[in-house]
Amino acid sequence: MSSQSPLRPTEIITRLRARFGQDVVQADEVHGHAVLTVTPERYHAMCVFLRDDRDLDCDYIDFLTAVDFTPKGRGFEVVTHVYSTRRNHHARLKVECDAEHPRCATVSDVWPGANWFERETAELFGIEFEGHPHLVKLVLPEQFEGHPLRKDFALMSREAKPWPGAVEGEEIDE
Amino acid sequence: MPQPVKFILNWGRRYSLWVMNFGLACCAIELIATSTSKHDFIRLGVIPFAHGPRQADLLVVAGTLTDKMAPALKRVYDQIPDPKYVISFGSCSNCGGPYWDSYSVTKGVDQIVPVDVYVPGCPPRPEALLHGIIRLQEKIAKEDIREKWSGQLVKPEPAQTY
Repeated sequence: MSSQSPLRPTEIITRLRARFGQDVVQADEVHGHAVLTVTPERYHAMCVFLRDDRDLDCDYIDFLTAVDFTPKGRGFEVVTHVYSTRRNHHARLKVECDAEHPRCATVSDVWPGANWFERETAELFGIEFEGHPHLVKLVLPEQFEGHPLRKDFALMSREAKPWPGAVEGEEIDE
Repeated sequence: MPQPVKFILNWGRRYSLWVMNFGLACCAIELIATSTSKHDFIRLGVIPFAHGPRQADLLVVAGTLTDKMAPALKRVYDQIPDPKYVISFGSCSNCGGPYWDSYSVTKGVDQIVPVDVYVPGCPPRPEALLHGIIRLQEKIAKEDIREKWSGQLVKPEPAQTY
């Protein structure tokens, strides 16, 4: 089992496309990893497939986080990076979320390690993970209000004194 | 208090500082390095490290204090018996440092506990802490314990011959 070689990103994409068809909205190879944008409806089923399929065999969740695209006119994107410890290949799933009430299915029942990642993402980005067993604050103080990693979160110090240099991403904006 | 007694008390106090390690980030490594053989702050009478705040005389806050950690710092400070001294070690504990605009970092430990000496740097070298300790000892040498505890200036006693 451990002697199996890693699947190439194109092979991972082919397997997920064959099983889920149009629910894989977009698929690319980035830095040697398969990166797939998937529909929210089949996201959970895809995670179960990634874990249970004998070829894919992604038994480990590397990280789960989110990206705030609201300044670009989109919502949030939940990013789940999984890995196969037996075959040494990676896969990254991206799910679009609504900007007003971002919500996403939980995968903490697929990989128990996702539990704390989702709690952290929930408090920092305000994304609701539906079906999560214990979605309370993990790292922020209990009385903390707001979701600090959202782009519209006001930093009090910067209200008093603006950032002296260029704003992140400003230099490369078209 | 007669001048010679004050001198002796302050002399004893400043060369026997049992230090409480409140290391929170990378600055703690510099603090620990200052305690080890190369820099060796025991030669200044700073004893590493108190087993708990109740044995300590000096609190060195080394590193990034977050708002979530701030109540713990206050509690450690409150447990130290008087007379007690605080050194704020590094930019983060002085003013927030590189995290000046963060949502979670306390912008200066002097918002939580009174600070005697600030050591700047990111992180400061062990020599900087040694300098800070010497400055603190100079401060203790000039101290009037009645002033420290009452918080009010005391009129200097007239010079006497003994």
